[in-house]
Amino acid sequence: MSYAYLFKYIIIGDTGVGKSCLLLQFTDKRFQPVHDLTIGVEFGARMITIDGKQIKLQIWDTAGQEAFRSITRSYYRGAAGALLVYDITRRETFNHLTTWLEDARQHSNSNMVIMLIGNKSDLDSRREVKKEEGEAFAREHGLVFMETSARTAANVEEAFINTAKEIYEKIQEGVFDINNEANGIKIGPQASPTNPSLPGSGGAAGAANSGCC
Amino acid sequence: MFRSRSWFGGPWNRPKNRLSLEHLKYLYSILEKNTTVSESNRGLLVESLRCIAEILIWGDQHDSLVFDFFLEKNMLSYFLHIMRQKSGGSSFVCVQLLQTLNILFENIRNETSLYYLLSNNHVNSIIVHKFDFSDEDVMGYYILFLKTLSLKLNTHTIHFFYNEHTNDFPLYTEAIKFFNHPESMVRIAVRTISLNVYKVQNSSMLRFIRDKTAAPYFSNLVWFIGKHILELDNCVRTDIDHQSNQKLSNLVAEHLDHLHYLNDILLLDITDLNAVLTEHLLHKLFVPLYIFSLTPAPPTRSLAVVTQNLAAVLNRNVDIDIQEMHNPRVSSIVALYLLSLVFLVVTHAPLVHALAWVILNGDHSVFKEGAAEILNAYVEHREVVVPGFGEPNESLEQALDTVVGHVSGYAVSEDSGVESAAATEVTTTSTDTETDAESEALRLRNITDEEKQQLQQSTSAQSHLELAKPFLDTVLHALDCTENDYQALLALCLIYAMSHNRDGIKNEWFDQVLSKSMRGSFSYKTALIEQLLEIITQSSQSSCRIRLITIEIALELLVTFTKPASDETRSITSLQQDVLFNARNQSMAVLRNFYKSEDIFLDLFEDEYQELRKAVLNVEFLCMDSTILLPPTGTPLTGINFTRRLPCGEVEKARRAIRVFFLLRRTCQKFLSEKESLLPLTHVVNLVQVENVLDLNNSDLIACTVVAKDNAKQRRFLVIDALQLILVEPDAKLLGWGVAKFVGFLQDVEVQGDKDDSRCLHITVHRGGATHNRTPLLSAKFLFDDHIRCMAAKQRLTKGRSKARQKKMYQIAQLIEMPGQVVDSPVYAVGGLRAAAAAAGSSSGSSSRNTREHRPMFSTANRVPGFAAALRRDNGASAGISRIQMAQNRSIEGIRNENAARSRRRNSNTSSNSSNTSRATDHMASGREHSPNGSGGSKSSAHSRENSQARSGGARSRESSPRMPRPRSEEIPLEDFQHSRNSSPHGRGAGGNSNASSRSHTPSRILHYDQLSVHNASPREPTLLVGTNALLSQMNGVAIAKEVLPVQSSEETSFIGNDTDGESRRKGAIETV
Repeated sequence: MSYAYLFKYIIIGDTGVGKSCLLLQFTDKRFQPVHDLTIGVEFGARMITIDGKQIKLQIWDTAGQEAFRSITRSYYRGAAGALLVYDITRRETFNHLTTWLEDARQHSNSNMVIMLIGNKSDLDSRREVKKEEGEAFAREHGLVFMETSARTAANVEEAFINTAKEIYEKIQEGVFDINNEANGIKIGPQASPTNPSLPGSGGAAGAANSGCC
Repeated sequence: MFRSRSWFGGPWNRPKNRLSLEHLKYLYSILEKNTTVSESNRGLLVESLRCIAEILIWGDQHDSLVFDFFLEKNMLSYFLHIMRQKSGGSSFVCVQLLQTLNILFENIRNETSLYYLLSNNHVNSIIVHKFDFSDEDVMGYYILFLKTLSLKLNTHTIHFFYNEHTNDFPLYTEAIKFFNHPESMVRIAVRTISLNVYKVQNSSMLRFIRDKTAAPYFSNLVWFIGKHILELDNCVRTDIDHQSNQKLSNLVAEHLDHLHYLNDILLLDITDLNAVLTEHLLHKLFVPLYIFSLTPAPPTRSLAVVTQNLAAVLNRNVDIDIQEMHNPRVSSIVALYLLSLVFLVVTHAPLVHALAWVILNGDHSVFKEGAAEILNAYVEHREVVVPGFGEPNESLEQALDTVVGHVSGYAVSEDSGVESAAATEVTTTSTDTETDAESEALRLRNITDEEKQQLQQSTSAQSHLELAKPFLDTVLHALDCTENDYQALLALCLIYAMSHNRDGIKNEWFDQVLSKSMRGSFSYKTALIEQLLEIITQSSQSSCRIRLITIEIALELLVTFTKPASDETRSITSLQQDVLFNARNQSMAVLRNFYKSEDIFLDLFEDEYQELRKAVLNVEFLCMDSTILLPPTGTPLTGINFTRRLPCGEVEKARRAIRVFFLLRRTCQKFLSEKESLLPLTHVVNLVQVENVLDLNNSDLIACTVVAKDNAKQRRFLVIDALQLILVEPDAKLLGWGVAKFVGFLQDVEVQGDKDDSRCLHITVHRGGATHNRTPLLSAKFLFDDHIRCMAAKQRLTKGRSKARQKKMYQIAQLIEMPGQVVDSPVYAVGGLRAAAAAAGSSSGSSSRNTREHRPMFSTANRVPGFAAALRRDNGASAGISRIQMAQNRSIEGIRNENAARSRRRNSNTSSNSSNTSRATDHMASGREHSPNGSGGSKSSAHSRENSQARSGGARSRESSPRMPRPRSEEIPLEDFQHSRNSSPHGRGAGGNSNASSRSHTPSRILHYDQLSVHNASPREPTLLVGTNALLSQMNGVAIAKEVLPVQSSEETSFIGNDTDGESRRKGAIETV
């Protein structure tokens, strides 16, 4: 499964905001309509196409690793993109964004693309954080913003792919040093997109012919 | 065929409900029928595995029968069976299998379900399965699977993973095999897993970890870190031109990750584990590589000496046979840096103590006993390992295999260890896996008194030939900045780190050891202080090549090491203190060379002060910056922070001179226990803020229309204060008052006329400071009513700008004692006065200020016909300012006389005045009283008073300070007119019932003002004072002796205390005038 680039992502945010569900939704669309079930996974990969190039997104959820300082400080580095997630139905998850962002800025490389995600947009009736507030926070801190729903899959694709596009642009501008793997970008084994129709690794393959239900 | 078609919707046999036991049964049947993975069925299998995960999670939460079925049919064994197949795209199915397992273990909530899943040891079989780890997805899911499991570990679940009887702990042993995986996320996961494992309080498991895995794991870890360091060192050596900065910073960050990881392990406080780790770090990395690199190259026998000394301390007999020439070493720069990091990050007391001891006392000495105790405290049961940085005897994988393979296999591993040690010239005596009995025997063998004595003799005999403390000497030598401060900065970092280590070394401990470190009459502490002073002295020279950060740390350390033991004075000799003060004076002299009337100097000066206040010294942050490992450079093109490089160009030299002066001034003040009274030049608290409500009665207002860039028009009134340009909007509630809508510093104002429109000005208010690249605060076109008003505004703005700047420049001149400036132009002395007095005012006056607080407004500018004159009104915060305001454009003497006189005279006058006026009870009263539509009587009386005062004031100032630039004729009446009015409310305050507070504040402000003016002004002041006011001259002594006193302090309280009944006293004071 060749690809032109591999981008490493991390997902950060308070527990319970739906990080691993977002990830599973993106890598494994099959799980979307599960009623009343929250299923998540902390690692995933999927192939996308940007500008005619195959790009592999490898996403690492960092859940459960917050207890140790050595761990928190290292996982920001080595990621090209970060999804900073909060739950629109829980204000405190929004209030903690600053701390997350500070941590990320302190430890990550300065080029890391951060996207702010207000998750659970399907639960509009229980909304505690207005969309405008998310937008304002993003504007203030120079982030891209989006409200998503891991349950209905709304905007999930876009969140990951737009982040990838931004990283890709930065590569084109020469901002990212792609030869330095510590930046979270790897050049593929063969940079020839031989089989663009080939579905992504793992889950994506099954997604192509999901007729189970 | 059934299996190939069925899942594409064959309606029979397939339950409708996806989440049901029936569906699981159906999926089970699929697994049953597809035991062999092939091209044709892999898609089906993947889909089935997916669904199984879903149903299990659903069942976990809704239907316990689901799990029962899963366990009953032993479905995990099917998983195992599938993953063990090599053919038919198993990697593809494996990824799905691992994902399913991940989902299962991550999302399961029911404790019992978890126990069931773990109970039949299938999970361990999955863990030890050799997946195709070259596939990055398999690797990712696999390590995540282990991490997920490790997060489930607790004292109960540990038994599912660790088998006491077979000494088997695959979760841990398999995970740590990837500690050096090229993928950073995998390494991070491994660290997490290991930490999660150590966290579990299970003694037999921990014993297993220590006995069977700690030695190989830690030795490999240490070796890996060491190799990393050699790479880092290589990078530093080859990169003198700052070319591969990115690479270097990554290496540094990576190394910090390692250190933090080690510290996290140590912080878990598992005694046995910490002992092993400490030993490995100390003897295989810190001493043999870091400390060894502190010895001058080419290496001498020093390491042997250290080893022997260590051995002596440890009471162990060590056969020293070190091939030092072959030992790897890093540059002393890197060594100093790495040692600093150790002390900044690691807090495990035995480790930092031992390491610090080696550095400070690197030789056995009189302190041997004390240090030995420290070392013995933790090394009691340790075996002796000769320090040596070498590759571990066997790879981690081998070691673990041995451990896992042979339950009692340490004999084997020891053998192989010895062999490979011989082969690779590694001097490690592999006693790692010795049994306790053996080490006990070794210990007993070693502490016979005879041997001990022998050892001591031999080592002491040898040490006479060597430097007493070679490492401390190296560190101190590194402080030499004659050439540059490349090494010195790192040496300072090390000393700082050692003396500020969080828990490990207490400051006092370090200090004590250092101060007791004597060699004959030579004290290391004295030597250190002298070295620091030497750096400080050099840095105050104009042509030095010392970076700002170096100076800052040196000063900080000087303060630390001269800290008084108790309440006594600082432990610094007067000679040393003189050196410090001379350095400050020198830096002042250097700064004088940069003192220019150019605009940029003032901007730089204020910028630097702000920077200094913002930036708190943080050596830990500094040491995260890899650029300090490279030779100091001057060019900003490297992107290095200004304080961490040399200045480039004249402007930066000026900045540097300013900063050095600030740093030295601050330190000197610490030594003198003084508080800063002259900086910053303007106190923000006393500036008008946006949304403040200002009394503009009788202020000079110029109506204008502000046209912004986007053509938005706003009608505003332009007010020009002494320091600020203010745009106000009339207040809706109070006539004659206005709300500040915009404020900017006059000193940052740029005014341009318009060629085409004579009523128009282009005004830009910059954000201040030397960096003009930021967007200005305001950039707009101002449209005035007519040409005359426009010209007036322009003139006043231009003049206001230059005046504001001149004032501040004078303050600076005073600060740096510019010859010829201080005494010659007392006019500007009031600038400093303003700030200081204002500070005093705000500290005693209203410190809490809401946004709509009513603030007085006043004007200083020249009188323009047709504009109303300003009037002050009294409230809590105003008094200080009004006095300052008065002070402007006058000599101090003049003000003092007037001020004292007026405030007192007004007291008597206006008390009668306000009693005449029935409105005197409310706030408005005082304002309206003198406003043009106020009572005619009071207005005229005020005028007559003011005129007379103005004349007398002017006359007096002419007499007393002939060199003072005289105010322009048209200014005098206006200024005095205003000021006299300004002061009037104080007097009136006595009559108004709302003025209880203002009354009590007023005297204190006068006091502050007087104090400070005395403080600031030339020595001839007091003599003049004597004649003016007995009270004031009484205060005089106090003012000189002390800083601004709180209101409660004795002299003042007596003054204030008398205030209520002080009318008579004040009258008395006035009589003296």
